[in-house]
Amino acid sequence: MADITLTAAPILGLDLTLGANTLRERDDLALVSVATPQGGEDALAKALKAGFKLAMPEPTRSTQAGDTHAIRTAADQMLLVFPHDGPDANTMVQGKLKGAGYTTDQTDVWVVIEASGPDTLAALERLCPLDLHDSAFPVGASARTVMEHMGAMILRMDADRFLLLSASSSAGSFAHALETSYKNVI
Amino acid sequence: MLINHPLLGPRDAAEFVVKGDAALIGRPDGMTASPQEMHDYAYLRDNPAGTHRELWYHEQGDRSWLVVTRDTLTHEVLDVALARDVARAEGRSR
Amino acid sequence: MRLSGGLIDRGQTLKFRWNDTWLKGHAGDTLASALVANDVKLVGRSFKYHRPRGIFSAGAEEPNALVQLRKGAAQEPNTRATVAELYEGLTATSQNHRGSLAWDLMSANDLLSPFLSAGFYYKTFMWPRAFWEKIYEPVIRASAGLGSLSGKADPDLYDHGYLHCDLLVIGAGPAGLTAARTAAQSGLRVIIADEDFLPGGRLNSETYEVDGQDGPGWAAATASELQGMDNVRLMTRTTVYGSFDSGVYGALERMTDHLADSGSKPRQVLWRIYAKRALLAAGATERSIAFGNNDRPGLMLSGAVRTYANRFAASPGQRVAVFTNNDDGWRTAQDLTAKGVTIAALIDTRADAPDSDDFRVYKGRAVADTKGRRGLKSITLENGTQVECDALAIAGGWSPNVHLTCHHRGRPVWREDIAAFVPGTDLPPGMSVAGAANGAMTLAAALKSGHEAARTIASDLGHAARGTLPQASDEQFAITPFWHVKSSKARAWVDLQNDVTTKDIKQSHTEGFRAVEHLKRYTTLGMATDQGKTSNVLGLAIMAEASGKSIPETGTTIFRPPYTPVPIGALAGRARGKDFRPFRLTPSHKWAKENGADFVETGMWLRAQWFKRPGEKGWRDSVDREVEMTRSGVGICDVTTLGKIDIQGRDAAEFLNRIYANPFAKVPVGKVRYGLMLREDGVCYDDGTTARLSENHFVMTTTTANAVTVFRNMEFARQCLWPDLDVHLISTTDGWAQFAVAGPKSRALLQKVVDIDLSNEAFPFMACGECKAFGTPARLFRISFSGELAYEIAVPARYGDSMIRALMQAGEEFDAVPYGTEALGVMRIEKGHAAGNELTGQTTAHQLGMGKMVSLKKDAIGTVLSQRPEMIRDDDLRLVGFKPVDKGAKLDAGAHFLTKGDPEDMAHDQGWMTSVAYSPELGHSIGLGYLKRGADRMGEVVRAYDPVRGKDTAVEVCSAHHIDPEGERQRG
Repeated sequence: MADITLTAAPILGLDLTLGANTLRERDDLALVSVATPQGGEDALAKALKAGFKLAMPEPTRSTQAGDTHAIRTAADQMLLVFPHDGPDANTMVQGKLKGAGYTTDQTDVWVVIEASGPDTLAALERLCPLDLHDSAFPVGASARTVMEHMGAMILRMDADRFLLLSASSSAGSFAHALETSYKNVI
Repeated sequence: MLINHPLLGPRDAAEFVVKGDAALIGRPDGMTASPQEMHDYAYLRDNPAGTHRELWYHEQGDRSWLVVTRDTLTHEVLDVALARDVARAEGRSR
Repeated sequence: MRLSGGLIDRGQTLKFRWNDTWLKGHAGDTLASALVANDVKLVGRSFKYHRPRGIFSAGAEEPNALVQLRKGAAQEPNTRATVAELYEGLTATSQNHRGSLAWDLMSANDLLSPFLSAGFYYKTFMWPRAFWEKIYEPVIRASAGLGSLSGKADPDLYDHGYLHCDLLVIGAGPAGLTAARTAAQSGLRVIIADEDFLPGGRLNSETYEVDGQDGPGWAAATASELQGMDNVRLMTRTTVYGSFDSGVYGALERMTDHLADSGSKPRQVLWRIYAKRALLAAGATERSIAFGNNDRPGLMLSGAVRTYANRFAASPGQRVAVFTNNDDGWRTAQDLTAKGVTIAALIDTRADAPDSDDFRVYKGRAVADTKGRRGLKSITLENGTQVECDALAIAGGWSPNVHLTCHHRGRPVWREDIAAFVPGTDLPPGMSVAGAANGAMTLAAALKSGHEAARTIASDLGHAARGTLPQASDEQFAITPFWHVKSSKARAWVDLQNDVTTKDIKQSHTEGFRAVEHLKRYTTLGMATDQGKTSNVLGLAIMAEASGKSIPETGTTIFRPPYTPVPIGALAGRARGKDFRPFRLTPSHKWAKENGADFVETGMWLRAQWFKRPGEKGWRDSVDREVEMTRSGVGICDVTTLGKIDIQGRDAAEFLNRIYANPFAKVPVGKVRYGLMLREDGVCYDDGTTARLSENHFVMTTTTANAVTVFRNMEFARQCLWPDLDVHLISTTDGWAQFAVAGPKSRALLQKVVDIDLSNEAFPFMACGECKAFGTPARLFRISFSGELAYEIAVPARYGDSMIRALMQAGEEFDAVPYGTEALGVMRIEKGHAAGNELTGQTTAHQLGMGKMVSLKKDAIGTVLSQRPEMIRDDDLRLVGFKPVDKGAKLDAGAHFLTKGDPEDMAHDQGWMTSVAYSPELGHSIGLGYLKRGADRMGEVVRAYDPVRGKDTAVEVCSAHHIDPEGERQRG
């Protein structure tokens, strides 16, 4: 069927301004999980360094090289977040890691929402059970938790800018929860 | 209740799912266990009023299974370890 | 009446409505203070006897002045007027009366009081038994409760939130403000919360000085200093209502209750506060003294009278008498005198009380009775002396607010010198107590205990303690316990809210309910919205006296959360209506909506149930058409909701071999295998297919319902049971838009879509592989749930919407039809596949006819116990099919099978029908069900007996595979 091709669509197309804050879906980012083979920690660390210039992320602190972030998501698993277009992010990562880790494309599993603005911390107080104070959750800190009954990942990009990830199937409910939080505090 | 995750620090118990007695790590080998042994493993659990070792799963977190030593009367958490480390220390491997 | 001074803003006059009257107050007033200023004495009727009652306190402890606030759907019953902030247009009505407040028809109960004493309900409504439901219950229901609900949905918004701190200071009185400042200056992250809208606690009610400033001024300055600090969060209108495990505290912040219009913001926020340490500085509550008719409007706690006079510039009377057993009553008399209010008399139970030049003092005397039905007119002393007055301030001593110290079963201890219970040593972990809450009953002592507690906490948390101690002088504080006036003939109230009198307590003792916990339940002392804040100690002191024991010997009941009532709406937060839980949508949701789909909730998922076409009258029309068109042509169904788990690792195959009961170690690359999962007790709990994409890479599917459980159990197995297997799991459920394409024309359709050869030789039944669909990377599985030639094709979810449109477009020439979950269900029943209805949590592989699949040559979860004799009995239930003898009959799930000629009882039960459907292909109703020895009874006619629906249908036992029992279609 040469005459039909598939087109990718953002999950929500979310782009909201709430007061001085914005909520924006980041469908320009690809997500690929990398699991550490048993006994393969050193080899993976080397491959990550060689392929992405990234250090292995600690359990609560992401690492960053250029636009690429590595978030530790489990004891033996991390998530790479990087700008990428097209469905072949996993192939690209596999090529760079050369078999040092087990990779799975997670781009479509999650919705990625960038929340930023002066009321962001106040809004997140209504959703996120974690302590987001600078002393506990500085720029680069990352965690996986639950918000409004939905599993979520949070990565601090800046003082008042966060990446929030939640299941793509319930992205609408997640965005609604975020939007409600902002509306309740501004 | 907070559980002091060995990798992540204190996290709310709401992020976890509890399974119960940590003795469940000690599953007999099905090829050699008698039905009675497997029956005892599957059905018999300790449930003391006091100090208890329990399995908790960080479902809304890093998916670690933890062994939480807890006082069931006061809910005081006395010790938390990664269940995988506990299992290995108890001699489990493949 | 209104006095001079006070902390109200006279520049802002606020109109409010009390029952049918419009009154005026000022900003800074509570509803209660505005009523006091307007000389409103009668504000409600008591719970049991419907006695006229007035405002008794000035805070959260209020037992009497419970009112209904606001109107219509926003109406809230049982709100304490003493903590309701006044705003323009506030509407309040009194409650618990029939007819007007002044002429309550239910006040006849007061005349029946001899019959309504302690234990009345337990004794009266016992017999005759026939009266229980028809007469007693309606009567009790009609008279129970105080206010009434609007019966409409709550229109307000509520929210939840999470806060973190080093130190949570509970209470912003002198001790709390000092502690917060000291802690903050020492570098701690501090939250200080107070239920009042004005920080300062008793400082705002008294005429003390701190650091040379007047009390309210010092409190305001300190609060403002705290507010300016980055590491402090000062929360007014916030009640910390409970202490929970691990330093977690519950707090309710009233955000818009004091505003006429909420501005579409949440009315209240329920906070979960994570505090490394907590300091309880909740102050103390004054208690009453029991004497005859001590419940009339115009009787008020002594400290409350000072609060109204000093803070709100209002007096409950023009001639006020004071009845006291301690020095506190004297301060009330002095402060009122200073404000120009006449003190009719001060009655001190202590013979050694001092004299006064300003007012008449009766030493060693007590009040025995009062007069004035709807407002106090006079009091009578024991010796018969009558004193005319329109208000009486009662000072019975102060009880520290120990409530939160009891939330982990801590027991308060009695301190004789202040005649009060103070926190014991068994406090919740991380909590300390300061100020009056800890028995530091004077101002200087309270400031010092707050300051020192904060310094200790700062040091404990590794900070150098800083801050200075504010200076104040210690006021007089001496008390001689005096609980009740024994010579009073009239009823003497202990608990005003529950109408418990001294007589009830003595009766409880006489009838053997002597333990404090029994006393509480038998008399209801200390129950309901005020939880006995002004009455508990008094009640158990009287019990102690009756039993000849000391108060410490008698002990006290303890408290549980909440400290004050928390609305259900606040507990629910946002979780109401469609926000009750998240919705999960499939990638084809938008397209399905455009194409007439009806949706059904399956767990959190919304799935298309059927796609209605013009002219179809009911759902059956749509479903029958979808089944027929699929079986004769090709149908497409979104099956994204099935759980998908990516499994990788050197030991992935070995791991799966231990997870599934059937063999999995040798599944070839490029093949899919059906797998059956058992629990360790041998019972089937999930099934699905798993595809081997490469040597170390599998993709598992689970049922929609069990996706989370299966993942959790596999994590358990890999981390706890076999920690050294190299296997890794990650969910990809949401990552792939997966569509079943089923029917004889599915191959022809898909061959137009994908770039690989789909011939039976190249891609046979149970094959899988990666390919491109319309040029996009995809996965293809040749599996069939419908029994037809079928495939499932998956593309990354972002292409899902485009994919369903493209599939339908490509399928036009084959008359492709979308089908929903109902048609899916019909086809799986026709094919005899077990699903949720069959997997009951008690189902064995043997019953499913899959007993032989369970491999005994390996150790998998559940294998050993699945072989227990009872689970593999030949005469056990077996899953078989059923068809009605009369082809027009409709079968029903839930019917039980009976052998012809057997009686209809449980002893002869032969099993039950699990699933039924109308089969368009066969033209009649069909069923699946469990039947004893079912496999050996093909062709037998049994009864499907259904007493619930009153049906009894003859059915013939047949193969569960109603169509294509040899499976030729799916392999073709």
